[in-house]
Order: sequence, then C-alpha cells, then structure tokens
Amino acid sequence: MAVLGIPILEDKYPVTMDMWPLEAKEFNRIYKFYENLKEGRFTTTRCKACGHVAYPPRVICPECYSEDLEWIDLPTKGKVLTFTEEVRGVPLGFEPPLIHAWIDLGEGSPIRKILSRVINCPAGKLKEGDEVKLVVFPVPSHPIELKKETKVAERVFFAFEPVEK
Amino acid sequence: MAKRNACLIAGGMCKWGVREASLVDMAQEAARECLADLPGLKPKDIDGFFFATSYAGRCSFQTNTAPVIAERLGLKPTSICARVDVLCAGGSTGILLAKGLVESGMADIVMVAGGEKLYTPQKWEVFYSELASIDHDWDAPNGLGLPPPFFALTAKEHMKRYGTTKEQLAWVSVVNYNYGADNPKAQFQKRLTLEEALEAPLVVTPLTLYDCCPITDGAAAVIVAAEERAKDLTDRPLVYIRGGAQVSLHSVSANWPGEHLADWAHLRRAAQRAYEQAKVGPDDIDVAQTHDCFSISEVIEVEELGFCRKGEGGEFVASGETKIGGKVPINTDGGLLSCGHPFGATGIRQAIEILKQLQGRATHQVEGAEIALAHNLSGLNVEHTIVIYGREPVK
Repeated sequence: MAVLGIPILEDKYPVTMDMWPLEAKEFNRIYKFYENLKEGRFTTTRCKACGHVAYPPRVICPECYSEDLEWIDLPTKGKVLTFTEEVRGVPLGFEPPLIHAWIDLGEGSPIRKILSRVINCPAGKLKEGDEVKLVVFPVPSHPIELKKETKVAERVFFAFEPVEK
Repeated sequence: MAKRNACLIAGGMCKWGVREASLVDMAQEAARECLADLPGLKPKDIDGFFFATSYAGRCSFQTNTAPVIAERLGLKPTSICARVDVLCAGGSTGILLAKGLVESGMADIVMVAGGEKLYTPQKWEVFYSELASIDHDWDAPNGLGLPPPFFALTAKEHMKRYGTTKEQLAWVSVVNYNYGADNPKAQFQKRLTLEEALEAPLVVTPLTLYDCCPITDGAAAVIVAAEERAKDLTDRPLVYIRGGAQVSLHSVSANWPGEHLADWAHLRRAAQRAYEQAKVGPDDIDVAQTHDCFSISEVIEVEELGFCRKGEGGEFVASGETKIGGKVPINTDGGLLSCGHPFGATGIRQAIEILKQLQGRATHQVEGAEIALAHNLSGLNVEHTIVIYGREPVK
C-alpha cells in the first residue's frame, strides 16, 4: 500500500539513504576512478603542472590548484599493519566479520597507507604482516532520471582480500 | 577603545539519555535550565544565537535548524542566528564563534546551544545514519561510520607501541563513571568497579562495553557575554574564554596526519595553538574536559595535550592523576562515557562543568581552579577543537 508523503515507501530511490557513492558521470567528474576500478585498476590523479599525487582523486590539484591532471595507477597489493574484526553490531549493509585493516601499499607508492575493509576472509584468520590484494565487487545500482528515460547506473566498490599462499 | 573580552556566564542542560522528547523539546528544557542559572537574564536580552547539531536533518526531516529553535526559545537574535555543524565539536565551535563575535563588538550576549535527537522510531536508522558522519564516498563504503572499529585499531596500536594495558583503559571508564554517578543529568549514574569494567561484554577487541560512550539524546545551552554586560548580570566570578583552536588536517582516513594511528599530530597542533592563544601551558591547567568518546581517546589526549609524556597516558590515568587531587582532574562531571554524547551538545556540557569549576560550585570541585581546558575530537578523528577558560582574561 502506498503511503502518501513517505516516498521511501513508494519504491523510490532516496539518495540520502545510499551509503555508496554516486559513481555515474551525471553526478561526478571523477567517474573515471570507478571505470578504472571495473577494469581492476586502483587509480588516482597526479598534477601535470607540479607533480603532486592526491588521493582521493580530484578535479583540481590541492597543492597548486591546476586543473591539468592525469590518472595514474596505485599498487593493488599491500601488507596489513594492524586490523580489527567486528563480529557483532555491524551496520546495515555489511555482514560479520567486518574486518578493517590499516594497509601499507609499499615504499614506492605515492599513497603509503590506506584504511580499508578486508573481505573474503573468515574471522580469526588474518595476521599482521599478511599480504592483501585489491578486490572489486558490485554494489547496488540506482536509477537516474534523464530527459526521456530512466537509466540504471551500475556500480562497483573496492576492498582488499588475503593473497592466497 | 579597550579590548573587549568574552565571558561564559551561565549554563544548563536537560536530562540526557534515551529521551521521550523531540530535539525542539530538549532545546527548550536546556535553555530554561540555562536561564535559571542566571536569574535576571531574559530571552529578550540575548542578541545572538548559535545552535550546534549535526543529526538534525539526518535523524529528522528538518534543516535550517537555528531559526526553528530560536523561535521556540523566544529568542529574537539581531546579530547572528546560525546552525553549527561540526559533529562532536559543534558546541565548542559555537563557543569559539561567539567569543569572536563578542570580542569584535558584533554581539553582546550570545546563547550557544546544541543538541541531538538520535533515537529514531526504528533503531537501525541511527546506526545506519552514522555512516553519514564520515567521508561518504571513500570511508563510509568501508563501514567505518560506527566508530568502535577505528578506535579499536587505535587502541591496538597504542598497546603494541607503548605497552598500554586493557586494565589501564578500564581505569578511564572507572574514574569517569564514578564522577558521573553524582551527575543527575548524565545518561548513566553508575558506580563502576574495575572488575565490572574488565568483565564487560566485548564490542570490538580490545574495546568492551564501558570503553565506549553510548548513543544519547540531549541538549545543553550556555551564555557567552561581553565582560561589561557580564559584570552587570552576575555576582559570580567571571569566567573568561581565553583562547582556542580548531585544527583540521585531513578527512579521508588514507590522509591520516600522524606517523601511526596512536600518533595524533592534529591534536598536538591544536594544543600548541590553543596554549599560545590563551598564553598558558599544559602545567597551568587545573581541570580539564577531554573527549572520552572511547577510553583510549582520553589516554592519547592526556599525552598530546602535554599532561604527561607520549606513551604514558595509560599509566597517568591508572595512577589516579585524573582524579580529584591528581595532576589534572579530568571529566569531573562524568565525561562522554557517563553523560553520553549528543554530538552538538557535548562541548556545551563541557563548558557548563568548567563554568562551575572556575566559579567554585562544581559537584567534584577542584579547589582553587583558575585555568581549565575543554577538548573535542570530531568525526573519524579528523578534527581537534580546544577551548581554554580562565578566571582572568588574556593580557
């Protein structure tokens, strides 16, 4: 039964309840990050004027405010520095164990450390020093109203998973 | 023209906890308590208003909150009427803004209030909405919105590097809960023993129940006034807002400004600047309110604020230095752990306790307290805010 005035109950898409990014080009200028992600690439922007690498990717360089940026690849493997496993009380949209790890992307990486989720890993298995690699997975799509039609925007997001030894 | 000074002259809060009341209701209760603290001050005397809230519009369907609340409080501000949204630091931010407006001469008497109504008809919504408090596109999709995992990582790092123990963390909760047990406005009035704290249910290793502040409904209000007006309005000792700082060096967790998660470089920066502004040092602080959202937070805060050396925060608390009679009594009204944490109201609650301490009328009074410090951490440890108060203005 539709309830007037509460659109969330009328099968509408409320962006205010969406924890995933709006990745489609209609809604952001760094959509290339997500296109690259779909190809298994973890990327960000580098300033062609001053060379500064920023993460997350930008539309301007935060050092010199140049708009002349290029996409570069970041490492897709790293080492776990420290981590936690949440088995109870994980937020809606996640399943236990919810594992968070502080990951070292290595000396050569312009972005040294990243806090990310480790998936495809049972509770109690991960250890400090373990090698992990990028994993890209689908997340729920959403509609976008265009002039004549409604498009469905497919989305992905990323996490890390243990490298099988 | 002589320099104008801003003074904290009155404060009050409603009962905090799981409340059968709306945000607008609680703001009225808090404002009434605030004005009852200073008979003679009338709503019409107040020319400026800040309302600190972050979850109005997230846990409710109301934005542009300041005029809504001002109207219910009978206020007709003519200098400023604005909402402040800095999550856990909103209240302290409002106080710093009021200081600036009063000292510049733009405002004379400002009410700084704050509050949150976090409990929604279905409980999933507040937990889910907490994902909105961090960098949405880069950290929220990792499920980092509810802070326990992040502070658990921080605690593990501190334990690994400095040998901090679970028992030392538990002492933070024991000290703060026992202060809060005598605070009727606190969410919990519970005398906590070390054994209870150590045997509490696990939240995220190594944090257990009493290491974490709860989710809280509540509101609080204070009055910031120009010194000359303050002298007319109150016979109590004046409490001057001596200085402060708010430091923001990053938002996305990957850009963390410290060497490791237990190294809070942004808090050190904030402390340095706030001490400079207030012309005092850590040894001058007689009583403090630090942001004990988690037990580990207070351990690291006492280090970065300069009350003890880096790595010795656990020992500092466990040896009683934050109790009355210790080096710096901290969170003498119960802190976030016992009072609860309606984000925008927390800095105001801290200011109320400091007002009472510096006027010699606190429940857990630090004898002869003259200089006090309030600190907030906000978001996923992305900002640090400090306000320093004193019985004398900065000269």
